[in-house]
Amino acid sequence: MTSATPLQPAAGIVKASPFATLGSLVRRPEAGSLIGAIAVFVFFIVFGGETFLSPAGFSSWLNVAAEIGIVALPIGLLMIAGELDISIGAIIPAASLTMAILSGFYGLPDIVGIVASLAVGLLVGFVNGVIVVRTGVPSLIVTIGTMFGVMGLTLGFSVLLTGSTSTAIIAGPVAQMLLGQFVAGMFAVLIFWWALFIAGFYYLLHVSPTGNWIFALGGDKVSARNAGIPTDRLTIALFMLSGFSAAFVGMCQAIVYQSAQVATGQSFIFNSIMCVVIGGVLLTGGFGSVVGIVLGTITFAIVNQGIYFTSFDANLGSVIIGTLLLLAVMMNDTFRRMALSTSSKKK
Amino acid sequence: MSNFIGRYVLRPEIGSVVSLVAIVAFFVIVGGASVSQLLGAASWINFAANLGIVALPVGLLMIAGEMDISIGAMIPAGSMTVAIVSGYFGMPILVGMLCALGLGVLVGLLNGILAVRTSVPSLIITLGSLVAMQGVVLGGSVLITGGAGVTVEPAPWAKFLFGQLIGGSFQVIIFWWLALTAVFWFFVHRTPWGNWIFAMGGDKVSARNAGIPTDRLTITLFVLSAVCASFVGMCQAIAFNSAQVSGGMSYIFNAIVAVVVGGVLLTGGFGSVLGIFFGTITFAVVNQGIYFTDIDRNWSNLIIGAVLLLAVLMNNSFRKMALSYSPRKKART
Repeated sequence: MTSATPLQPAAGIVKASPFATLGSLVRRPEAGSLIGAIAVFVFFIVFGGETFLSPAGFSSWLNVAAEIGIVALPIGLLMIAGELDISIGAIIPAASLTMAILSGFYGLPDIVGIVASLAVGLLVGFVNGVIVVRTGVPSLIVTIGTMFGVMGLTLGFSVLLTGSTSTAIIAGPVAQMLLGQFVAGMFAVLIFWWALFIAGFYYLLHVSPTGNWIFALGGDKVSARNAGIPTDRLTIALFMLSGFSAAFVGMCQAIVYQSAQVATGQSFIFNSIMCVVIGGVLLTGGFGSVVGIVLGTITFAIVNQGIYFTSFDANLGSVIIGTLLLLAVMMNDTFRRMALSTSSKKK
Repeated sequence: MSNFIGRYVLRPEIGSVVSLVAIVAFFVIVGGASVSQLLGAASWINFAANLGIVALPVGLLMIAGEMDISIGAMIPAGSMTVAIVSGYFGMPILVGMLCALGLGVLVGLLNGILAVRTSVPSLIITLGSLVAMQGVVLGGSVLITGGAGVTVEPAPWAKFLFGQLIGGSFQVIIFWWLALTAVFWFFVHRTPWGNWIFAMGGDKVSARNAGIPTDRLTITLFVLSAVCASFVGMCQAIAFNSAQVSGGMSYIFNAIVAVVVGGVLLTGGFGSVLGIFFGTITFAVVNQGIYFTDIDRNWSNLIIGAVLLLAVLMNNSFRKMALSYSPRKKART
C-alpha cells in the first residue's frame, strides 16, 4: 500500500525552480547529458590543445551540431511522444534536390525552390503521420517504408528530369545571406537558425500546453485520448514538424554546398537518434527535455569533430560515441529511477 | 473451404507469398521480363542468400520482441577479422574463421546481457554497439594493417565450402542459407524453443512466470544474430579474397524490411521462418530483378517502399482475420 505510487508525474514535466537544489538538478532529464557534455569538452581540451578552444575549433563542431540539431529536435519530440522517424534520411536529399532542380536546373526564383522543398518535407511527414495514425503499424516500419519510397522517387525524378544524380545551384544573394553564408568566415548561419529552432521547440514542449500533451501521448496514448487530447492530430503534426525540419536542413545544404546529391542524409538517421538518446530522451516515450536534446547534440558533435584536433585515430571517435551512448542510457536509466523514486517519496 | 482458409490463407507467410507473386507478375507484365530469365538469375539468389542468413535471426529476435541493428557492423567485422588474422598475419584460415565467429559470440553476448540486465530498448543498445564496432573495425584495421582493405588467400577446402562459385555465378552461400533456413524452421516450429520465443514476444513477464528461461533465451538469440552476421562477412571475405570495412550498413534496413514483408510483427509474438524466407526472396527480387525489366532501376527503392507498406497493411488485416478466426472455430465445436 505504501509503495503504491498513484499519479506519478512524468519527471520531464516537472518545472525546475530557479533555486533548484543539486538533488533536483541531478534528477532532471538533462542531468546525464550535461555531465556527458562537460566530460567530452574537458577531454578534448586536454587532448586537443589550444586549436580546439580557438574560434575555428568551436565553429567546426558548432556547424555539425547545427545541422544535426535542427533534425534532432523534432525527432526528440516524436520519441517523447513514443514514435520514431527514419524517413528523415530520405527527406534531406529530397528537399536538397527539389531546391536545386527548381531554382538551379529550371532557374526559378529561390523562394519557389525553398517553399517547394519545405512542402516536400511537410507532405512526407503528413503521409507518415496519417499512415501511423490510421493503421497502427509501428512508426519505425512505416517510416522505413516511406524512406525507401522517397529515396526511389528522389532518384527516379532526378534522373528523369535532369539526367543525373546531382544538380548544381547558385542561390541568389538574399537566400545565400539568410541560409548559406558563413558568419566571420567560419560559423555557418545555420547555427543561428538552430538557436531559433531551439527557442521554438522549448516554448512548444515546456511552456505551451501542447508540450504536456506530447508527454501524455508518450506516457499512455489511450489515457491521453480519453483525457481529450487530440492524439491523432498531434501525432500527424509532429511527423510534419520532423519532415519540415529535415527538409529545412536539406534545403540549406543545397544552398551552402551549391549542389545537391541523391546519396546524402543516411547518416542523419542514426546520428539524430543518438543525439536524442544521449540527451536523456526515453525511446519508449514520455520522458525528455529540449535542453537535454541540445546538450546531447553538442556532445555528439564535439566527439565527432573534436577527434580531429587530437592525435588519435579519427575512427576512435565512433568508439567513443558508441560507448558514450551506452553509458548515457545506463546513466539516464539510473537517474530516471531516482527521479521517479523521489516524486513518490514526496507524496 | 473454411478449413482451407484456416490452414493456408491465415498463416504468417501468406502476405509475403502474395507480394512475391505480385512482384514477379508486375515485372513480367509491366516490365517485360522473361519468367525463366528472372527466376534463374544468380544475382538475386546470391543477394537473397547473403541477406537471408542475417534476416533469419533478426526475424527471430523480432518475434521475441527485440531488435538487433548491430549486424550492420558485424558483417564487415567478420570479414575483416578473417582477412586480418589469416591474410595479414598468415595464420591458418581455420583460426581466422574461429576468430570471426568468436567475435560474433562476444558482441552478441554483450548485446544480450545489456538487453537483459537494463531496461534500455535493444534498438538503442545495438545502436551503441553498432557505432562502437564500426569504430573498432575501422580503427583496428587502420592501426594493424595501415589500410581499410585487406586481402586473404583462403585454403582450398575453405574456398570450396564457403566461397566457391557454382556454375560460375551461384555462390555456395546459397546452400548455407537453405540449410540454415531448415535448421531455423526445425527449431522454431518443431521444438519447445520456438514456442518459448513466441511466448516471450507475446508477453515476457508471463513467459518468465511460466518457467521459460527468458534471459538465457534472449542472450542466445542475440549471439545467434551476431554470429550469423559475422558468418556472412566471413564468407564474403573468403569468396572475394579480400575484405572491405564498409558495406554492412545497408543490411540493417534491408533485413528489417525482409522480415516485416515476411509477416513478422515488429512488436513480437507473431511470424514464421517460412515467412522470413519468402520475405527475403521478395526483397531480393525487387532489388535485383529490376535489372531484367525495362523499368528504370532507379525506381526500385520506390517499389520496395510500396511493397513494405502494402505487405504490412496486408499482414495486419490477415492477422486480424487469423485472430478472429480461431475463437469462432472454438465456439462452433
